Amino acid sequence: MSAILVLIGFSLFVALVFLGAYIWAVKSGQYDDKYTPSVRMLFDDNKIESEKDKHKNT
Amino acid sequence: MLEANDLCNYYAIDETPGISKRDSIIRNFDFLEDPELIQKLIEFSDGNITNITFDIPQMHCSSCVWILENLYKFDPGVIHSEVNFLNKTLSVKFREKETTIKKIVEQLDSLGYLPNLSLDTNRDDKLKNEFKRLYYKIGIAGFSFGNVMLLSFPEYLSYTDLVTAEFQNIFNWISLGLSLPVFLYSASEYYISAFKGLKKKIVNIDVPITLGIFVLFFRSLYEMFIGGGVGYLDSMTALVFLLLTGKVFQNKTYDAMNFERNYKSYFPIAVTIKKDGKETTIPVDKLEVGQRIVVKNNELIPADAILISEKANIDYSFVTGESQPVEVFNGEMIFAGGKEIGQAIEVETVKEVSQSYLTQLWNSSAFNKKHESKIETTVTFVSKYFTFIILAIAISAFIYWVNTDVNLAFNAFTAVLIIACPCALALSTPFTLGNSQRIFGRNKFYVKNTSVVEKLAEITSIVFDKTGTITETLGSKIEFIGEKLSKDEQNLIKALVLNSSHPLSLKIASLLSFNKKLNIENYSEETGKGISGIINGKNILVGSRKFVSNKNIEENDISTNVYVSIDNKELGYFRITNIYRTGLKEIVSSLIKKYKLFVLSGDNEGERENLLNYFEKEKSLFFNQSPHDKLNFINDLQNKNEKVLMIGDGLNDAGALVKSDVGISIAEDINNFSPACDGIMDAKSFKNIKEFIRFSITSKKIIIISFIISFMYNIIGISFAVQGTLSPVISAVLMPISSISIVVFTTISTNFMAKKRGLL
Amino acid sequence: MNVEKFSYDNQIVKLFTIATVIWGIVGMTVGVLIAFQIYLPWLNFDLQYTTFGRIRPLHTNAVIFAFVGNGIFAGVYYSLQRLTKSRMFSDLLSKINFWGWQLMIVAVAVTYVLGITTSKEYAEAEWPIDIMIAIIWVAFGINMIGTILKRREKHMYVAIWFYIATFITVAVLHIVNSIEIPVSLTKSYPIYAGVQDALVQWWYGHNAVAFFLTTPYLGLMYYYLPKAVNRPIYSYRLSILHFWSLIFIYIWAGPHHLLYSALPDWAQSLGTVFSLMLIAPSWGGMLNGLLTIRGAWDRVRDNPVLKFYVVAITAYGMATFEGPMLSLKNVNALAHFTDWIPAHVHVGTLGWNGLLTFGMLYWLVPKIWNTNLFSKKLATAHFWIATLGLVVWVVPMYWAGLTQSLMWKEFTPLGILQYPNFLETVLQIVPMYVIRSIGGSLYLVGAIVMVYNLFKTAQQGSFVANEAAEAPALIKENNDKFNSHRWLEKRPIQFALLATVAILIGGIVEFIPTFLIKSNIPTIESVKPYSPLELEGRDIYIRESCNSCHSQMVRPFRSETERYGEYSKAGEFVYDHPHLWGSKRTGPDLHRVGGKFSNMWHYLHMQNPRQMSPGSIMPSYPWLLEQKLNTELTLNKINVMRMLGVPYADGYENQAVADLQVQAEGIADDLLNSGIVVESDKEIVALIAYLQRLGTDIKVKPAENK
Repeated sequence: MSAILVLIGFSLFVALVFLGAYIWAVKSGQYDDKYTPSVRMLFDDNKIESEKDKHKNT
Repeated sequence: MLEANDLCNYYAIDETPGISKRDSIIRNFDFLEDPELIQKLIEFSDGNITNITFDIPQMHCSSCVWILENLYKFDPGVIHSEVNFLNKTLSVKFREKETTIKKIVEQLDSLGYLPNLSLDTNRDDKLKNEFKRLYYKIGIAGFSFGNVMLLSFPEYLSYTDLVTAEFQNIFNWISLGLSLPVFLYSASEYYISAFKGLKKKIVNIDVPITLGIFVLFFRSLYEMFIGGGVGYLDSMTALVFLLLTGKVFQNKTYDAMNFERNYKSYFPIAVTIKKDGKETTIPVDKLEVGQRIVVKNNELIPADAILISEKANIDYSFVTGESQPVEVFNGEMIFAGGKEIGQAIEVETVKEVSQSYLTQLWNSSAFNKKHESKIETTVTFVSKYFTFIILAIAISAFIYWVNTDVNLAFNAFTAVLIIACPCALALSTPFTLGNSQRIFGRNKFYVKNTSVVEKLAEITSIVFDKTGTITETLGSKIEFIGEKLSKDEQNLIKALVLNSSHPLSLKIASLLSFNKKLNIENYSEETGKGISGIINGKNILVGSRKFVSNKNIEENDISTNVYVSIDNKELGYFRITNIYRTGLKEIVSSLIKKYKLFVLSGDNEGERENLLNYFEKEKSLFFNQSPHDKLNFINDLQNKNEKVLMIGDGLNDAGALVKSDVGISIAEDINNFSPACDGIMDAKSFKNIKEFIRFSITSKKIIIISFIISFMYNIIGISFAVQGTLSPVISAVLMPISSISIVVFTTISTNFMAKKRGLL
Repeated sequence: MNVEKFSYDNQIVKLFTIATVIWGIVGMTVGVLIAFQIYLPWLNFDLQYTTFGRIRPLHTNAVIFAFVGNGIFAGVYYSLQRLTKSRMFSDLLSKINFWGWQLMIVAVAVTYVLGITTSKEYAEAEWPIDIMIAIIWVAFGINMIGTILKRREKHMYVAIWFYIATFITVAVLHIVNSIEIPVSLTKSYPIYAGVQDALVQWWYGHNAVAFFLTTPYLGLMYYYLPKAVNRPIYSYRLSILHFWSLIFIYIWAGPHHLLYSALPDWAQSLGTVFSLMLIAPSWGGMLNGLLTIRGAWDRVRDNPVLKFYVVAITAYGMATFEGPMLSLKNVNALAHFTDWIPAHVHVGTLGWNGLLTFGMLYWLVPKIWNTNLFSKKLATAHFWIATLGLVVWVVPMYWAGLTQSLMWKEFTPLGILQYPNFLETVLQIVPMYVIRSIGGSLYLVGAIVMVYNLFKTAQQGSFVANEAAEAPALIKENNDKFNSHRWLEKRPIQFALLATVAILIGGIVEFIPTFLIKSNIPTIESVKPYSPLELEGRDIYIRESCNSCHSQMVRPFRSETERYGEYSKAGEFVYDHPHLWGSKRTGPDLHRVGGKFSNMWHYLHMQNPRQMSPGSIMPSYPWLLEQKLNTELTLNKINVMRMLGVPYADGYENQAVADLQVQAEGIADDLLNSGIVVESDKEIVALIAYLQRLGTDIKVKPAENK
């Protein structure tokens, strides 16, 4: 059953890495704005103005 | 502009894009070149790159976000611009050598997104950092709790197949490692708060919480490493995590709103001065005594000044509460905060901005002393007793067992302290009040924090401001009392009054119809009396009764009655009255049964009769109240042990709002300036005042019921504890169950009651 | 001027898209083939290369790694560039990722068909390919992280976090699960044995589901759904909360696959509890997705892409509810080893993964070919066909699973098994297999319709390999107050990566072998290592993937002990490298088969199962009777086993082949007595030796009935 310790070890390690990532994210202000990113990702930055009849929905 | 920069996508992005430029005024932004002002406005600069954040309340859709973030296409000096949509802010990073704040603001203005520039640089950085710390703490607590809990399960679940000692030992060490940051860091603010409270001889709710955490932790250490058991680390981490979720929930803020504004937000940041015959703009801070200012239509006078121009119409409704604009003549004093209505005027300052009559209010003690409301929160009240009772029970248990079995005695003692979970207590309040706060918010009543909800339940007196609070801000009602005027008669009167710039004349003109342009002869205007002229041979008089018909009137001279006569025939008078908000009568009649009601007005007695229709008691109406008067009034009430709710809107209410136990600011447009207060209410929600107060009382009741529920859990737990039969499983089960059931209960009952009361 | 002009790499997206489609068809076709094979044994063609056992892993790997895998890459490469406003970090790495992955798939296909397999589910590839997977995956990771580091959009959208989580976790899972000692270029043994191996395998297996089939697709959902419906995700806050709560504790779920097995009770219960907890974050994702469409449901009517997404997300919700339910012990007792499990799997794979991929392709292909979809009607038709196919696949399997399980458990009033003959329970559900194969065929037909539609779309469009874009660069400010951190902060990723690699290697090399070899499993004295012949026979069992249809784990239920014999004890598996507990009983459990049938029975049965069991659906294995057993590796095998802790005497490897031949001759003689002439060096002899050994270590009388 010692395999379970190995597994717990790796699992905890991965989880700790992510805890670190979480703290970095909060620290660097990733979550200062929890709304605008959801709107921002909708913008197409390529210029499709030339194809006036092309719509965004397929 | 959009097409030139290939940004026509603006119209494609949202369904209702676009800002209509309200005015085509060409604004002067020269003052934005002033280096001192710039220093005040920006966030950061290293000489090369500058960061500045603008308030742009006009943004309303995704197209706005898109175009504002594409600002660099308009101005290559802009490195980056980022919108925070909920806060309605735009953060701009630009190269100082390539562009300036002035240019950026000009561009924003031409796009229709003129930023709200104010000197009220209340940077919320401290608040932001506090939030970040809370998120670190809860992240660590959640992570630890999840994993420690899973590591504890083997012991709980192994009724048939015991975990071997070797595994258990390893699990214990890992659990300890995971719990340490929670114990030392995540829970630290509870320790600090408990300690601070105890220093002041107050036992607040954080005292039993700290006690609980400490006992949990140390007893776990003992059990794990000496007793060979499992310990209570999962309960400990769960407790801290749950408590922190309460804090997060409670910390809802209305990002786009500011509850801390002072006059600086209301005043402009720049003024146009006349120097050597030329007009320039300077920052308002730089304004000196004796300077000449040019004030245009709808602009604010930033400091007490003397009128240089011939005449001015000043609207003081926001600053002193007078509802009608006042005519001011050359040589008379104009007070800071008044707005010029009509032609541009020139004034000469006699005081500095901060020394003006109104702004002096902010120097008064009301603003400086942090007002400690005497309303004690329920939870503080209960926690006093809670701690002592628990300690008493723990000690009794100890004494009971100490002669039989010392181990059991210690066991029982610590068990009581562990299981007497203050967490349900600590969670009832934030979740109930937090939910109530959100329900209020959905009804467009935005309170600063959850304690306001609770304080609202305790009030005994309600004080209303008149102008703009119980009356509609957008003007007064004008009606003609007398026989109906014919079209011709209206024409004549209107032709006359159009020549006058008196605010009352403008009001009358708005009521009458007009189709022919007419010639006037012998037009004359007498100050304080009226106007006269001859049109089509008819002699027309408009003004006070004495002026128009030479009659003396018996009743109080209500200056807002304007009489009319044509060819000496008195036709009647124009009555200008306040429009009271819809539902005022119902509100008053429902409130008067429980609360003492008062009205404080900056206006004269003119409205007394009208007001008496709503508020029956003569003694509750006060007129000619200056902002200082209002402040003192609240003070007096509080000295009589009243708990006061003040509802106001303007700067003239600022002192009173701060002094009251609960101060609410009414706003027709919540994006506009509101003075510092505990809550901002959309004018449309004013009619729900009674329901809001009632809901606060209900929330309190819900809190108390949830306390009772948590006591039940505590009784169950304590019954195990005193017998010394408390095991980690029971603790691990009882605590989350009690916490979660409390949260569920408070959420469901607040939502249910809100639905029942029509608030949801 | 700091507006940078760059271009998005659409070429790589095109490549991955084409690969997704092609492998999708391949994987689904193989799936349909095995669905037919299972009730038409002649479709095995009596050829070792086309036998069900060898083809099935082809299907699972093709649909998971080839179809879903390429789908992930296509979706990630397109969305990541646009979310970070930057071209991929390295075009070279992109190509390595693409060609390497396709090469890996081909390698996998070839090796499985040849019988080169480790038997570990969803990780059947042998060690050289495992290394290849690791290298390509790292290349992908570097490419992805590099792109994130040079991004021009400061905020990392939630989809990116899901992609990162996928990369890191899959890397760890793959490495830990694939730690094996090679015997030859095409054969290896895992360092774990028995119960430990089972635990690791299913820790990997479930987390592969979580981090390969779920998290990347959640990431894709968070990007492609808002784009398709042109509205922001319902609650971005919720998605953040959802991601972090998922990631902090997701990795514990493994044990729920091993309920009622020889895994210790407490570990099993842990898995159950944990699996139940997973409902919350999973449903958070589902609700967030579905609620994004609120107020725009009318668009679903006209837009086939949205139709696919809605059903996909709903299927995700269903599967993530069913999963935790299946981890409850009483439910599991009924469902495990039956067709209920494949039903559950296919709700998730056909529903969530398949439909979401289709929806994404219908949106993506017109986008990068700068045109409209060729036929909305055909896409809608595909949607209906696929959904119908899904239902027709899944429903009969629920029925079959329940029916068979109940039949296994039924006792007569006298207390003996109602259906002592396993085959009877199989024949009962064959009609369900037929219906299921129709469902699968429908699903494939839908996919073929999609291929046509997408092909015509590409034909009518104009592909732009490099899409021009521009964006201002991110400038790092010099306003750090804590300068001591800056040096560290400048090199975080390099450090992190190096540290990770170092720790992993270090840990693996030093830490694990010592840990595992001293097993904590209570040893049963009578359990002995396999003899060389039995070991070779076991490797043939693995080669033919017998474990795809046969389990070796008798559960502690009376219905099982009556049918098979004594329930399986953890200590019996200590020398099983790898474990062969299996996860499905298409055929009966074999753990106690040793000594139950004569050698002749096994010989004839393997030659053609229908000889001994009329109506059996098992494929025939005639080549085992012809092929000579290869003993060239036997020496190596003994050595490796000893290295892994199996107590072969020192120097035994020199003795091994001789012992093998003696034992083989014994069996050949016995067969001769029964009238079967076979040379002792044939593979069948080894297999018989292994089968006769199974479960005989503990001295318990075998049950009378089969």
